[in-house]
Amino acid sequence: MEEELRIGVFVCKCGSNIAGALDVEGLAEYASTLPDVVYAPWNLYTCADAGLDEIKKGIKEHNLNRVVVASCSPRTHEPLFRSVCEEAGMNPYLFEMVNIRDQCSWVHQDKSLAESSMAKARDLIRMGAAKAALLKPQEIIVSGVEVKALVIGGGIAGLTAAISLGNRGFPVILLEKEKELGGMLRSLYKLAPMDADASEVINAKIKEAEDHPNIEIYTGATIEKVEGFIGKFDVTFSANGTSKDVRLGVVIIATGAGNLVPEGMYGYDGEKVITQWELEERFKAGKVDANNVVIIQCVGARSPERQYCSRICCAIGIKNAILIKEMNPEAKVHILYRDLMMYGVENEDQLRKAKELGVRFVKYDPKQPPVVEENKVTVFHQLMGTELEIPQDMVVLSTPLVGTEDGVKVGNLFRAGLDKNKFFLEAHVKLRPLDCGTDGIFICGSAHYPKDVRESIMQALGAASRASIPLSQGEVKIEPIVTCLVDKDACRGCGLCVALCPYNALEITTTDEGRKVNVITVACKGCGVCAATCYRHALTINSFTDDQMEAQIHSFMAA
Amino acid sequence: MCTGRMDPAVMADAFVHGLDGLLVLGCLFGECHYVTGNFNASHKVNMTKEMLAYAGMNPGRLSFRNLSSAEADVFVKHVTDFSKEIRDLGPLGGEADKFPLPKLKEKLEIARISLAGPKLRWVVGKKPVFIETGNKYHEIFTEHEINRTLSGIVIDEMATHSILAALQKKPASVKELAKDLEIPPPETLKYVLGLKRRGFLELESVQDHSPLYKYVEQEA
Amino acid sequence: MRKKARYVNEDLCTGCGACAEKCPTTVANEYELGLGKRKAIYKFYAQGIPSVFCIDPNSCRTFQGKKCGVCEKVCQAKAIDYKQEDKILELNVGAIILSTGYDLFDATRIPEYGYGKLPNVVNAMEFERLLSASGPTEGHVERLSDIRDHHLINTTEKKLKKSTKSLENYEKKHKMSSDDFYKQFTAGNISDGDEFPKWAKQYENVQEGTKKLEELKAKAEKFDIATRLAFIQCVGSRDFRFNKYCSSYCCMHSLKEAMMAKDHDARTEAYIFNMDLRTVGKGFEEYKVRGAEQIGLHYIRGRVAEITQDENENPIVWYEETTSQTTKHMTVDLAILAVACEAPKGIEKMAEMLGADLDENRFFKTDPLNPLDTTVPGIYVCGCAQRPMDIPESVAQASSAACRAAEVVAGG
Repeated sequence: MEEELRIGVFVCKCGSNIAGALDVEGLAEYASTLPDVVYAPWNLYTCADAGLDEIKKGIKEHNLNRVVVASCSPRTHEPLFRSVCEEAGMNPYLFEMVNIRDQCSWVHQDKSLAESSMAKARDLIRMGAAKAALLKPQEIIVSGVEVKALVIGGGIAGLTAAISLGNRGFPVILLEKEKELGGMLRSLYKLAPMDADASEVINAKIKEAEDHPNIEIYTGATIEKVEGFIGKFDVTFSANGTSKDVRLGVVIIATGAGNLVPEGMYGYDGEKVITQWELEERFKAGKVDANNVVIIQCVGARSPERQYCSRICCAIGIKNAILIKEMNPEAKVHILYRDLMMYGVENEDQLRKAKELGVRFVKYDPKQPPVVEENKVTVFHQLMGTELEIPQDMVVLSTPLVGTEDGVKVGNLFRAGLDKNKFFLEAHVKLRPLDCGTDGIFICGSAHYPKDVRESIMQALGAASRASIPLSQGEVKIEPIVTCLVDKDACRGCGLCVALCPYNALEITTTDEGRKVNVITVACKGCGVCAATCYRHALTINSFTDDQMEAQIHSFMAA
Repeated sequence: MCTGRMDPAVMADAFVHGLDGLLVLGCLFGECHYVTGNFNASHKVNMTKEMLAYAGMNPGRLSFRNLSSAEADVFVKHVTDFSKEIRDLGPLGGEADKFPLPKLKEKLEIARISLAGPKLRWVVGKKPVFIETGNKYHEIFTEHEINRTLSGIVIDEMATHSILAALQKKPASVKELAKDLEIPPPETLKYVLGLKRRGFLELESVQDHSPLYKYVEQEA
Repeated sequence: MRKKARYVNEDLCTGCGACAEKCPTTVANEYELGLGKRKAIYKFYAQGIPSVFCIDPNSCRTFQGKKCGVCEKVCQAKAIDYKQEDKILELNVGAIILSTGYDLFDATRIPEYGYGKLPNVVNAMEFERLLSASGPTEGHVERLSDIRDHHLINTTEKKLKKSTKSLENYEKKHKMSSDDFYKQFTAGNISDGDEFPKWAKQYENVQEGTKKLEELKAKAEKFDIATRLAFIQCVGSRDFRFNKYCSSYCCMHSLKEAMMAKDHDARTEAYIFNMDLRTVGKGFEEYKVRGAEQIGLHYIRGRVAEITQDENENPIVWYEETTSQTTKHMTVDLAILAVACEAPKGIEKMAEMLGADLDENRFFKTDPLNPLDTTVPGIYVCGCAQRPMDIPESVAQASSAACRAAEVVAGG
């Protein structure tokens, strides 16, 4: 049998914040006349100790089984009131909050309209009580986390993240698609600004990872199948011919980026006209002996087909110009640029150093790009207003880093979004730069956007830090205001909701009763798009059900 | 919860209960707190608006607008503008709407039933998928094409559910239905035959050479 | 560690604001960079955490030995505690993260830009407040000279009211209109009585004030939103006299501010004077291109040499347009200086206390391969305490620093 409804409504004066514009005592009196309301006091501050005690006392003395507080914003105070209800032995999700301050007393200060403001406050309280009557108890959702991390990509970012998690004592599986670890740094020569040897830096990292007792490394690896969600990702991968199934709690994507090959641009031939990456290889082999070097920036970047700026190419171009000058002070080096993106502290120092060494900088206009010919480059110098003919025996093209097909594949497997340039999307550009939209997946390194070594290391540590949160907590706790399959019989497993869910929190599974939707509650954020879409009305959102909302509307219209 | 939770049937329900205006305010496009919820909301509000307008309500009574949570002044502007627009329209069932009150509410109830039903919900739910990634055969549709389809369904649904509602009250002939519901007789015949084929209606008797149809109770 | 007294009990204060409403003392608001006002009991800004008030003892009447205590009376939560004292806390910790942020470059150090002297030259942070819907102008970009004149109108009106009232008192007392009195007084017909010179003086004040007010009001009628905006980049950065580094984020905030201004008022013409527009983050270059091609912002490559002003106090920007090799000038309504990000005051003291080294630019010294570690093991640094950086980089770095600290504290 349904228990008898006993609703308590607590109306708050909030000092003069509410009482200054509304007759709070009158509102409390009004609340007491509403259906099923058995107790309706007012408080000076409901959130102060005295007010909270009154809620607890009310629940006990008046046997309340629903509590409504009409006060301020649920954003700040709902958790507090819920926990007080819980302390008094009531299920916290039988609590409803009505905001008569922010959108009522604060915005309707005009005393001549006091009666309208009161009418609005009465509407709000009446609607709150009507909804409270239909609330159902909920339990906090707890889901376990497999204490093991997957790091995809064995470049500087992936290695750094894996080592950091390993150091914290978490077991890590590190996958690398190539035969060897190291990624892009393996093919580089020197790193600016510290003039470090790239191979030394990466080899030290590789050794640290290989010797680490908590890191399991697989090279030549391909991921084949991914299922599950935060805390319980089931991943199948193959490495060197054998297939392996593992369960992991979190995933860090560090798949890096590729180099654009500038086919058909500026006479690129890989011999006399080469890319920065080919120049790095020549440095390593000690095969750079040009006397007239022309470096062209923004080749294939900041153009209509690839609008973005690849961030690090100016620094690379200038670093390599410095290296050439240091090896051969007589060499003439020209850098043809559009804007010098030497942001930050050390980069600006590098730019100055290059100028001191006699590297010439020529600003060109993309509308009049340089022309590479046999033995010379012709360019219109925008800042001198004249055309220059620069003799050359080597042209180096600075090309952008680009997103890769491997990245797209990993993204699809983990349902992690990529932007149109095939770089991974973060959950929030400013506030969650290391998280993917899907919970439990984190991004670092150039898979996210072109980055230098310092930035990749920094981001990798950050991603490791974010990933370590669910690992160290061992479980994920979720507010139960999530989607719920209320009518399993009604569901026909059509999948309409699955396609619209922005969090991949719905999946179609085959059950004894046929295809049915399954709600992955730990991934659900409670937006309710699925419930508003389901044509069988099988899904709803706890505490925001159709009947609760309709009760509010009907109660509003019943004024 | 997100504006994406706005259920077309719930919105219609509010008007059935006499609401004069409903303003749905969502995040700016591209900045939705729930990623894509506001796009879904705008699709649903637009569809609901079309359905309710077809049922005879002034479409100005339902509106979807965008703002960021940091734009207090924009919020005030939207709310002030909208309340003025609604005041200008007057109460539901007035001159701004096609029908006066008892009739308008009956029509809106038919619209609400249609909005709770599978057809419109299915198409509006598929809209973002069809526009972005296409159907099973990777055919991508333009928003215009989907809207045209939706408009067709709005007309069909309104007619179908009006016929069902009328026949639930008492059996009637196609001629009577056509006259009462103001649907051209050939169209009415098409809908009635369709409903009969799907088992919603059956022949009750024949009067004056015209067949009378009655509603068949549906099992859940 | 010293925890400063806020003179308000944090556990009791509900943040209702009744105290600030009634507080009789009004001072310049630091958060609005002096463009707005606040009370002596205040919240630094509306969304601050914890959402409780504090008393500024330097302006509070009670702390200045005057009679007041209004806030104590109106506070129904009994949270006011004038006797609260600074607390010294001793903490024992395993790792320290420095996130001490930065200071804005003081643009008065570049006299040729006239900041501090020319009213309509502002820094970017002040401009942000002008743009903000919750700022001192409710988001209307007004020239500071206009704001000043509006303020002047208000104070002049108030003064005039007071003077007029005292004239009325004299008139009542002596049953004579002030006009007649003044005529007679200046003609030498009335001389004795020491009240009369005061009356005459007051009469002159009113005449003068009225005239001034009329002039100001006539001027104010022509005031409009500032629509011609010059954004001056690299103010105090990439400049050997001050900071040779690039502050990294200023190009983007100027672009953003220009876009927002244009969005507020479509008549806006925004000119960004730059050496390079360094749009190196995700989506930044696209933003810049959109700004030029769709929004209609103007990017001018060249360093501004000097800012002067015309007779209407409109700034005149003198510059070389390097792409056409010509020197030019341009008159605008507001000039906005993108001031450098500098290591904060007091960083030397903190560094000395911790034993951590600073680099030549006064930021905490780090190694590019260990970008979070200071020179002292267990002490980490993130955000602009390490180098200038934007929000996403700061947020990511904060996680990274937490990671390094966790490796120490949570073990491994």
